Amino acid sequence: MSNLEETLKTERVVYSEETIKARVAELGKQITEDYAGKELVVIGVIKGSLYFLSDLTRAIDLPVKVDMIGFSNIPDTTSKTGIVRITKDIDIDITDKHVLVVEDVIRTGLTTAYIIQNLEMKKPADITLCSMLLNPDRLLMTIPVKYFGFEINDQWLAGYGLDHDEIGRNLPYIAQIPKRK
Amino acid sequence: MAIITISRQNGSLGDEIADALASKLGTVVISRKYALENFFGEINPGTLDRLNESAKFFETTLPGSKRTYADILVEKIRTLVSASKDRDLIILGMGGSVLLDSFPGALHIRVTASETTRLNTIARKYRITTDEAAEVLNIADRKHKKFVRTVYGKDITSPEQFDLILNTDRLSVDECVDAICELARKHDIRVKLSESNIDKGTFDHQTRATKFKNETEEEFARILNMYNIEWLYEPKTFPVEWDAEGNVTMAISPDFFLPKFNLYLELTTMDQRYVTKKNKKMRLVQELYPGTNIRIVYKKDFNELVDRLKLFGGLNDNTREDN
Repeated sequence: MSNLEETLKTERVVYSEETIKARVAELGKQITEDYAGKELVVIGVIKGSLYFLSDLTRAIDLPVKVDMIGFSNIPDTTSKTGIVRITKDIDIDITDKHVLVVEDVIRTGLTTAYIIQNLEMKKPADITLCSMLLNPDRLLMTIPVKYFGFEINDQWLAGYGLDHDEIGRNLPYIAQIPKRK
Repeated sequence: MAIITISRQNGSLGDEIADALASKLGTVVISRKYALENFFGEINPGTLDRLNESAKFFETTLPGSKRTYADILVEKIRTLVSASKDRDLIILGMGGSVLLDSFPGALHIRVTASETTRLNTIARKYRITTDEAAEVLNIADRKHKKFVRTVYGKDITSPEQFDLILNTDRLSVDECVDAICELARKHDIRVKLSESNIDKGTFDHQTRATKFKNETEEEFARILNMYNIEWLYEPKTFPVEWDAEGNVTMAISPDFFLPKFNLYLELTTMDQRYVTKKNKKMRLVQELYPGTNIRIVYKKDFNELVDRLKLFGGLNDNTREDN
């Protein structure tokens, strides 16, 4: 067991490097076909999509523009939970462009809904979503998930961008980790 | 889409508010000037002067027609509003609140200010003394009131015809515009929901104040606020079972409606036997009201969501439940 695996207390491999690589290639091919002849901007969500965005965009054989968006919870005097705000906005003008938002994982879809709401204000032609992992049983929001790598359940995962307390993103595969309280 | 009528006292900055609002919404202001230039075809300068000067003249018929200028004014504005579909429209003056009082989507705004503010605004605008401004105001107020009374037989100053009255003594033009925009946006959501109630036979509760039934609902509302996701609490009831006489025997009022996502969410913290009944109701809603997006947030889902938020929340950039 590697240092990283020991730190994360990985329980089992959920998706291996090879499986991920093959699925990303399929997704890239599909996106290449769907957006042929269109102006596509691919936007990765910081930080979880880092590795997936990197591999996926290289599997898309189109002149895509790539950008990233980040958000954070900031304290708010009027609420206990604080409010979510964009901390790194996109730099590319997406007005009238086709936008593909790339996520590492979508569970309830609340964060994705927040990002879509913000991007919609920039008047793109359309927005679709590509997530490496999707939990359809937990999905609450009606969001346009057009592409996804794998379906997951409620298990706690790390690797390939997914972290626990900032650790585990650089694990080259997706592993199950114990549920943390 | 917003249909906004603005009635204003002279010198209250109502015209400036209408212009700024039109600019923000990307639309034009339908004013008396616009009406005179566009509604009556070609009119000679003499007629134009009389329409500008005299409310009574609106009661005269157009040359070669049995219809009065007032008839055409009313018809043209109503046609514009009906044809506006998804466009925003601002009607400035001309008794718009009276004219469109039965139009369900219209918002009626009145802009007022104290006499001192109005006198100062008029004096500054026309570079005249406050005594002269007082005379201008006196004439203008009288004419304005007379126009609405003559054309529609109503009193434009009665407050009950307005949804919002703004006093520019202490509010800036920008503040007024922001308030109107926010109200128009929410009102539009409410009107669309009400219209769907009429179409689908569901019941409207949107005028009730939000009173959560339990802490879970309150917590969930806080989570939605955190993500800046707009919600309405229990906006409507869906009847799902009726007896032989048509009386409703079973209904469900989903806890939250998220207008942006056209989605109803029903939270449940109950034990399994009640959840089964809720599941049945959900299934019936989907069968009886096709196209309605409705989902249950189970106790387990909610606890999981809160756990993940607690774990990943805080001040770092990992504040997401999606991991």
